[in-house]
Amino acid sequence: MPGIWVFGERRDQTLELLNAGKNAAKALETRLVAFTRERPSAEEFIAYGADEVLVLPQLAEDQPLESYVPVLAETARHEDPDVFFIAATARGKEIAARLATRLETGLCSGCSGFGFDQEKKLLRMERMVFGGAAMQSLICTTRPQIATIPPRTFEPAAVQTGRKGTVRELQSTPSSAVKVIKRSPKAKEAVNITEAKIVVCVGRGMNNKEDVDLARQLADVLGGEVGCTRPIAEELHWLPEEVYLGISGKKVKPDLYIGLGVSGQIQHVTGIRDSKVLLAVNRDENAPIFEAADYGIVGDLYQVVPKLIEELKTALKV
Amino acid sequence: MDFKLSEEHQLIRTSVREFCQKYVEPAADEIDQQARFPEDIVKRLAQQDWLGIPFPEDYGGAGSDYLSYIIVVEELSRACATTGFTLECHTSLACYPLFKFGTEEQKKRYLLPLCKGEILGSFALTEPGAGTDAGAATTTAVLDGNQYVLNGSKIFISNAPVAGVLIIFAMTDKSKGTKGISAFIVPGKTPGLTIGKHLDKMGIRGSLTAEVFLKDCRIPKENLLGQEGQGFRIAMMTLDGGRIGIAAQALGIAQAALDESVRYSKERVQFGKPISTFQAIQWMIADMATAVEASRFLTYHAAWCYDQGLPYSKEAAMAKLFASETAVYQTNRAVQIHGGIGYIKGHKVERLYRDAKITEIYEGTSEVMRMVISGNVLR
Amino acid sequence: MLNIIACFKWVIDEADIKVDKGSRRLILDRVSYKISAYDRNAIEEAARLQERHGGSVAAVTVAPPTAKQCLKDALSRGPDKAYFVNDPSFADIEPSQTASLLAAAITSRIEFDLIICGEGSSDLYAQQVGPALAERLGIPCATYVNKLTYVESERLVIADRKLEDGTETVSVPLPALVTILPDTNTPRIPTLKQVLGAAKKPIENIPLDALGQTYAPRLQTLDTLAATMDRRRLKFGPDPEGIRSVIGALMKEGVIA
Repeated sequence: MPGIWVFGERRDQTLELLNAGKNAAKALETRLVAFTRERPSAEEFIAYGADEVLVLPQLAEDQPLESYVPVLAETARHEDPDVFFIAATARGKEIAARLATRLETGLCSGCSGFGFDQEKKLLRMERMVFGGAAMQSLICTTRPQIATIPPRTFEPAAVQTGRKGTVRELQSTPSSAVKVIKRSPKAKEAVNITEAKIVVCVGRGMNNKEDVDLARQLADVLGGEVGCTRPIAEELHWLPEEVYLGISGKKVKPDLYIGLGVSGQIQHVTGIRDSKVLLAVNRDENAPIFEAADYGIVGDLYQVVPKLIEELKTALKV
Repeated sequence: MDFKLSEEHQLIRTSVREFCQKYVEPAADEIDQQARFPEDIVKRLAQQDWLGIPFPEDYGGAGSDYLSYIIVVEELSRACATTGFTLECHTSLACYPLFKFGTEEQKKRYLLPLCKGEILGSFALTEPGAGTDAGAATTTAVLDGNQYVLNGSKIFISNAPVAGVLIIFAMTDKSKGTKGISAFIVPGKTPGLTIGKHLDKMGIRGSLTAEVFLKDCRIPKENLLGQEGQGFRIAMMTLDGGRIGIAAQALGIAQAALDESVRYSKERVQFGKPISTFQAIQWMIADMATAVEASRFLTYHAAWCYDQGLPYSKEAAMAKLFASETAVYQTNRAVQIHGGIGYIKGHKVERLYRDAKITEIYEGTSEVMRMVISGNVLR
Repeated sequence: MLNIIACFKWVIDEADIKVDKGSRRLILDRVSYKISAYDRNAIEEAARLQERHGGSVAAVTVAPPTAKQCLKDALSRGPDKAYFVNDPSFADIEPSQTASLLAAAITSRIEFDLIICGEGSSDLYAQQVGPALAERLGIPCATYVNKLTYVESERLVIADRKLEDGTETVSVPLPALVTILPDTNTPRIPTLKQVLGAAKKPIENIPLDALGQTYAPRLQTLDTLAATMDRRRLKFGPDPEGIRSVIGALMKEGVIA
């Protein structure tokens, strides 16, 4: 049976994909189908827009999520969906690539948006290439059209009361030669940088680890969070990896982004380009960040930031 | 005529660029401003097999060609003229004379550790009273039994404070003029050899340049390099090859000036437009790019002649003359393009401008280059 | 003893890409190429495993014939031998085709215990080839690995996968494929001897017709245009007036209150 299928590793990702899928289902005049690993959440997904929910069998303790690949492939061969959206988490990306191979179909990775060719019933998908320097538009000429969609590309679907749908438990068996022998969860993030409305970003222009405190003070005055560029987290370890912003890090859409000593490499800008307003402080007037910014202050951040904090305290009556 | 670099040469260039991006660029400013000898970088140069590039593997070298060596000097100098020069001085001025004129025993003893980068080399010819007029040297070497006793002083000797071995030129027979000069291999810690303090220079500030004092410095007579009276010829032949190295250094500096000028002129906005849209700047860039390209071909051609076993004295002099004058002139233009910011410490072109000047002076001044070239052409 | 295959891609150096401001078309006529950054980590990891456990490392790539110089580049970084699957039509292929071509070349010619790929290529960053290749070869895979250990006695590798929720340590029986992250290792800078030594290592040329199949694309690119970002680009000085102006503007935009 045709349909728009969605698979998210987590509940919140599935809700985002249901939102993405609902317009596709309408345009292609077909149904919206969601996968779940927990039977109880099936009704919830229906309320959020799914016409059908397929319940995946339980995995054994030592089975990785990718053990679902044979299940998804078999189900897809059986049901023949038009489109399959998979949340672009690491596991999701592996699942999608393996699934596309098994189904001998194309896969658009990291799809950041799409339109429709209603006549041909095809999605026109967009994705970033060359480190974020360019946007590729493409269509998939085989079926199903598979796309992985990064989390937070779409807002979660809205709940609709009184929706009806069906729930089916899938019978096929998950399998994998790969065995999980240990799971080391990441220490709970004190901060979810992707939720912050205001982000102050530390760049290489800061000289010492201790100076990160300056960024924190600015963030505190504004009620924001502190993030950084990749080298600050991965090379200097001044801040945890969870807060580095960029193409291979977090992508944020705050109301206000303030870059302190950030030069503005494309890989970083890609992670912040959806900020509503972008302010940059850098002593190099030729730093690329100023091309990407709404407001730029050219000067020594060690002079500018304390003044900024002082003026803000007055202006905001803190 | 094949103007394309071989795959190996391209790969060598790429590997040096990776190296520079990782280790040299981040340190170049500090090396210049603190006048710090880049000891850590030199250790890595040894690990990369770059301290004996054109010498056979039997002597600890990489067994590659002169062009490979020139490319390495060029790329290192593009990032940091100090680093490029330190490698050049060691290779062309210390390793080369040992390779060309040393006995098997001397090569095993001194050339091997030099090429492997275990020790650095130095070349001590210039004296307070003998620069271009190298024949006016007054440092003496007197045979006394099984030893030579050296007395005198040298000035502006690069790498001297860190050299494991120095090639020192001294008079063995005053009556014979230049034919009375001999070359000696002097290990760095020989009693009677003192190195003066590091001189504070306009450019290549991380390169260690010092006076060398010899006071009854005794070395075994086996440390005579070549024959007695052959010293001047050894020095001149060594400097011939070294000129190609300095041409490469000047080329690297000029290329860096061009890179900076292109980047800056595209980013700098005045009167609402990038200055790269103004004809005055465009013409400066055009002249700069053309001169750098010409320097490159003269330099690579001289290296090619060397590798082909063809005479290269004239070509080397032409390359050094042109590349060094290009470096000096074009780094001046680069500062001009940058305007005020190009005058400020910490901006690369300010350092390039100061680094360039020495290339017109050492290893044979531009005046000497003109003598060599006209001497060849008007023969 | 481990027979390892390291896959790599010859990609455009994105720093050389120029843009036609009017049409937003990419100008690629003077770009230089390089081995994709994460593939260098793959080659390095393969070289390290070989240094530790013995065996062989083969570097394999799918590229147009004009990419020939990528082979010596790869060989200077540790592998013993290179395989060049090449055809002019490969200038613009998609990940599914690359995976199929690699699978065909490997199945027909190369013995292996482990295949190492980068997590994605720096040009398209589709992150598909690794797992797709594993599927084609019918071997298990572990992706997003930043630590790899070979357990000789059990013929498997233990891999730490760095995932969003933490680290998942998995055991993967050989033969297998892994895709690795850049923080797995620091690739060596080839020494001069390694560069010169590359010329002496064997290269096997594999033209398309030697593989006996065609590989049709499934995706069709409509266009590729430079990304734009329309920003105000207003600049201010670091003086008190400048700072106050900025704050005023931010308040007006409603982003601070």
